[in-house]
Amino acid sequence: MTKREHTIILLLVIEMKPIVKTIKDKLLEAWKVADGVARGKAIETIEFEAEELDHIFGILVLASFVGLPSPPMQISLDLMPLMEQELMLMMEKVDTAHEPISDLFSVFDIG
Amino acid sequence: MAGATNMFFMGKGGVGKSTAAALNSLFLAQKGFQILIVSLDPAHNQSDIFETSLSDKPTKIADNLMGIEIDQDYWIRRYLKDVQNQIKRTYSYLTSFNLEKYFEVIKYSPGLEEYALILVFKDIMQKFGHLDFLMFDMPPTALGLRFFTLPTLSLIWIEQLVALRQEIIKKRDLITKVKLIKKEVETDKILNKINEMKKDYQNLKDIFEDSNQTLINIVLNPDKLSLAESTRIVEALHDINITCSQIINNKMQLHSSCDDINTTFSDIPICQCPYSETQLIGLTNLEQFLKANDSVLEEQVNHLLPSAAEK
Repeated sequence: MTKREHTIILLLVIEMKPIVKTIKDKLLEAWKVADGVARGKAIETIEFEAEELDHIFGILVLASFVGLPSPPMQISLDLMPLMEQELMLMMEKVDTAHEPISDLFSVFDIG
Repeated sequence: MAGATNMFFMGKGGVGKSTAAALNSLFLAQKGFQILIVSLDPAHNQSDIFETSLSDKPTKIADNLMGIEIDQDYWIRRYLKDVQNQIKRTYSYLTSFNLEKYFEVIKYSPGLEEYALILVFKDIMQKFGHLDFLMFDMPPTALGLRFFTLPTLSLIWIEQLVALRQEIIKKRDLITKVKLIKKEVETDKILNKINEMKKDYQNLKDIFEDSNQTLINIVLNPDKLSLAESTRIVEALHDINITCSQIINNKMQLHSSCDDINTTFSDIPICQCPYSETQLIGLTNLEQFLKANDSVLEEQVNHLLPSAAEK
């Protein structure tokens, strides 16, 4: 290789460096998105299960306020100040309470 | 003596449990023990028996003897106010919510009466635990039994709630790991609170089950009805692992037969307490009765605490 050819290749590599970096960044970004989506998909059902358990916990503790059997009143009252999230969830669930199957279908992406 | 011994007096209405509590308290006070008699019965007979106006603050009745009468409604109101304030602090979106209205209704909820008694019991133990004896004149049977059952019942529920909460936390941890979210250092407040409650109720249950800390006297009369109710009390307490320390067969007369009582409670010490011709009201009458029946009270204390009689 002549000295001239060597210089041209060197200049080319220098010029290509930012392009390679951009491609690498884009690929990394795409990988992160794909990974995020995959992870999201993987735990969708677990998230639904956790939410359902939260709901069951809410109903179990605060059931007396909607007329269901419940623990001794003082247990409900002692936990009530800490159960804002469960109460909100119970209120949200009222909307979907009449269509539990459609709620379940949406979790499994059945359209 | 390490810590106060709790002595409870239970039995059917009208058998003389308040009088038995008063006599035992006075007897032990005369022996030199520091005594606090606590009236948990909403009927509050202790003020009448000692002819001394009692309140929620300890009032001196005699040497070494103080008395307190509990206002159950006050304790329910105080507890609900506490919860209400906590809710107001945490639930910011409920500021316009009329909580007072709801708590007005909650105060009539079943279960709060016995919880108020539990709160009182804890408070008395904390404030007067340094005394020798805390004597509790108990409310009617149904409420009295619910008082003793409450820790056991609450623990059954708490066990279930802990298991469910742990399952929720496990799932949340998994979600956090998969989503690569920075793990929250903050621990689950609800689980902490439930564990705190569990410790509290277990402690109460242990106190009730420990026959060195808790002595339960069942007061009855030589008649079928009070015997039947006393049998039910002993059985109900036995079901929750609490043993009765003594049966006080009160208002015994010469012609009274106690064969049925002796047969029914063959494994529990029974003490015969004679019928008093004069009404046991006022310190003088009570002291006279104690003087005349010193051996009876001595026997009662011997049954419960052999070391107490020696003092």
